Amino acid sequence: MRSRSRRVTDPCSRERLAQWMFLAPAGAYLLLFFGYPIVKNVVMSFQQYTTTTFYTGDAPFVGLKNYAMILTSDLFPKALVTTLLFTAGSLCGQFVMGLAFALFFQRRFPLGGVLRSLLLLPWLLPLVVSGATWRWMLDPDTGVVNAALRHLHLSPSGVPWLTGTSQALVSVILINIWIGIPFNTAILYGGLQDIPTHLYEAAKLDGAGPLASFRHVTWPLLRPVVSVALVLGVVYTVKVLDIILVVTGGGPANATETLATQSYELSFQQFEFGRGAAMSNVLIVISLAFALVYLRAGRRARNVDEAIS
Amino acid sequence: MTGTIALVLAATGCGGGSAPDKVTSITALDYYTDEPEHSQWGEILTSCGKSAGVRVEQTSVPGASLIPKVLQQASSRTLPDLLMLDNPDLQQIAQTGALTPLDQYGIDSSGFAKGILSAGTYDGKVYGLAPYVSTIALFYNKDMLAKAGVSVPRTWDELKTAAARLTRPGRYGMAVDANATFEGTWQFLPFLWSNGGDEKRLDTPQAARALQLWVDLVKSGSMSKSVLNWTQADVHDQFVAGRTAMMINGPWRIPALDTDKNLHWGVAPIPVPRTGQTPVTPLGGEVWTVPQNASKARQQKAAQVLACLNNSSTMLALAKQHFTVPSRTTVAARYAEQVPSMAAFAKSVEAARARTSELGVKWPKAATGIYTAIQSALTGEQTPEEALRHAQQIATSN
Amino acid sequence: MKRAPARGWPSTIVGIALLALMLFPVYWMVNASLQPAGNTLQGGWFPSHPDLGGYVTALRDQGRNLVTSLVVALGSVALSLGLAAPAAYALAQFRIRGTNLVLIGILITQMVPGIVVANALYSAYNDLGLLNSYLGLILADSTAGVPFAIIILRAFMRNIPRDIIEAAHLDGAGRLRVFRSVVLPVSRNALITAAVFTFLFTWSDFLFALTLTTTQTVRPITLGIYQYIGAHTNQWNAVMATTVMASVPAAVLLVVAQRYVVAGATGGAIK
Repeated sequence: MRSRSRRVTDPCSRERLAQWMFLAPAGAYLLLFFGYPIVKNVVMSFQQYTTTTFYTGDAPFVGLKNYAMILTSDLFPKALVTTLLFTAGSLCGQFVMGLAFALFFQRRFPLGGVLRSLLLLPWLLPLVVSGATWRWMLDPDTGVVNAALRHLHLSPSGVPWLTGTSQALVSVILINIWIGIPFNTAILYGGLQDIPTHLYEAAKLDGAGPLASFRHVTWPLLRPVVSVALVLGVVYTVKVLDIILVVTGGGPANATETLATQSYELSFQQFEFGRGAAMSNVLIVISLAFALVYLRAGRRARNVDEAIS
Repeated sequence: MTGTIALVLAATGCGGGSAPDKVTSITALDYYTDEPEHSQWGEILTSCGKSAGVRVEQTSVPGASLIPKVLQQASSRTLPDLLMLDNPDLQQIAQTGALTPLDQYGIDSSGFAKGILSAGTYDGKVYGLAPYVSTIALFYNKDMLAKAGVSVPRTWDELKTAAARLTRPGRYGMAVDANATFEGTWQFLPFLWSNGGDEKRLDTPQAARALQLWVDLVKSGSMSKSVLNWTQADVHDQFVAGRTAMMINGPWRIPALDTDKNLHWGVAPIPVPRTGQTPVTPLGGEVWTVPQNASKARQQKAAQVLACLNNSSTMLALAKQHFTVPSRTTVAARYAEQVPSMAAFAKSVEAARARTSELGVKWPKAATGIYTAIQSALTGEQTPEEALRHAQQIATSN
Repeated sequence: MKRAPARGWPSTIVGIALLALMLFPVYWMVNASLQPAGNTLQGGWFPSHPDLGGYVTALRDQGRNLVTSLVVALGSVALSLGLAAPAAYALAQFRIRGTNLVLIGILITQMVPGIVVANALYSAYNDLGLLNSYLGLILADSTAGVPFAIIILRAFMRNIPRDIIEAAHLDGAGRLRVFRSVVLPVSRNALITAAVFTFLFTWSDFLFALTLTTTQTVRPITLGIYQYIGAHTNQWNAVMATTVMASVPAAVLLVVAQRYVVAGATGGAIK
């Protein structure tokens, strides 16, 4: 069988070749634009890049020095904690709000569908646009948010949204929540739609109130969708760069510096491509850890998946 | 691999070049993207090109992307024939080997002010010359000072009181650029240096007191906490919008300030710690260089244009256009006589210090340390002493 | 109908209030863009005297960048669909060994931070002369579109009944013919969904614009806005006018292609 399939005239192998031709262009593209960068990034992380490298092309191998440097720098633990806070904060907010919106839109009311799709707008806007708008709204001196707070006598001096270290982190998290709510609403709403109505009716007959029916019907059946939403959320949030660069630039005093912004700064501001690569490899490892979780969650979600598609 | 491919590209790219003895045009790269400077430089380059018998094709990229652009061009061997750099960047680029020493073209570098010449020198050789230099000063809104009955502050104490008295709802007394960039560092230097602080040793009481001044201004509410995010351009905008009564900025802002007829502004030296001291300010100004190039003839032409840019009459014309100071001392003296309003700047530039004069190629690290310290201190994350100890660590790390 | 609104207008009012809160930043952006120049440091709550000056400035400064973004986004849509549609078909309908491996690979692409791709592409592009080029941006920006389009299209193509395809084969059509004249027309909706999202991904791209362009020659609008913020704070009306113009595709697509947008929002995530 195996030896025969080598002959090109064999219809079976010609068939297979034709099938592979459908896959080949996309496969080649993915290898070039994902495979190559990953490999190249690993190689670069063992090299020392300086400004001189650009002229001479000379980037000597320095072993694990780049990793030692970034892991022992005092920015690293700070950036790691910020990344975790940013991810956890964004995710909690997006998910809770998203679920609340999804439950709300599950009621049928006039214009519900229209409102639900208009809600997607913040998610569809370019992140730079949202970032620029929020940055302007949150300006401590002239922004509308502080103007409103002063007007309502909630905070006479205003909140230093972008100039206080902890407030700035809260600000970027809030902005990221705002961006993520629509996406969470959309997939959770999708999940809710797939829960058969008769289960609710049965629960009602058993005398369950709205809270009990949420706990015993909605939540268990929504679980697979929930885990997918959360893991995808982590994977997307960990690598967020645009919002932070536009709103705070990582400041003030590096308070909003995450692993992703650090990697960008090392490579493209300080031209330390080696260290930038090392930093982003740390980021990949974190993401891949979640990838595994995702694949496991995906397996659990497959039943739902089949049901939806 | 980067190297090999770059070499291959260079080899193929240079094959079809024009005959070496007949150069009709050369390329020039600068960061004057804004008008009117872009056109003003275009005209100067054209006229200097004419005298050298070539057409100069000018390209401008924004300041922040000039160095990335230069590095990119360096690796692909496509550097322009004539390149402008901000003076503190010169030594770093010269170190890569991408630039040529100017003595080989017989360019006269005598008579230049010491500071700018040292910024253009790497490893004992002059690589870049700047036709003019500049520095920063205190700009103030005459009407606001008059109304508050405040005279122009000369010392730090006076600055603090003046700023406090000028502050009212919707307006701050003072504004600086405390951004986490080299621009923030550049604005802090007059305070650091005038108090006897030094970039070689950042964790000193002198440096801490300078930083404390900025902290006090923010803490007392005389300066917006947003200075943490402001660029020099933002500071300028705040001043023009009447949201700050005083600011630190450079004379290149004067043409823009003059366009607003209702704005009555004055300029004074940056306040010093104690009466009678002279402020030590950082030296600004861009140097022109001749990068490495396969064609010697093109380099010669570029060098001729560079020499023309730096001759006495061109630098005088440029200085008048940009409200800056010619970098040859004799020309500067003549200029101060012709344009009395610039005499103050001409004088302060004399004492101005080049950022790379002490640390050379290590300056960027110290500069990073300084702006990091400014940010930590102004946000209240660290005391000035702690922040500067950390800055010293950054400056001496490798 | 039985599906008559279970709850009435009160819910609608709450819904409108929630939406107004969520979309306030969008309103504020439009409001700011209509304020006169300079004054916007403390703009009013309403554009009582709408001023189009901001748009004039924005079009003058950023018009070219809008065109650049449009070219790059359309190019990326073409490239992404061109690569993804055949691949999705193969993954959905052929029983090729390694299909799962490819699918896992696609999932992993979602975990790769853009900065990793940008890091490596910068030096590769530098050697190949692709920095500051349309082609370079289109290729890099498609890293979002290709995997997404494959996921969306495969999910749809899995449900194309086998008999349709087999019937075409019996009629003597080759694989390519079947793909072109049966599979693609049937998958029209999924193709539109994939195209809409690929367009939006590319239009919104900031990272590749930031790292793979160094001059003004090819500058997407997102980067234009970013550099605008740093340089023109006294012209917030122009900055906001630019952001409004940069938001137009998202808003338009949400209105005219609502069905596909909603399908993409849920479809892409679950699989």
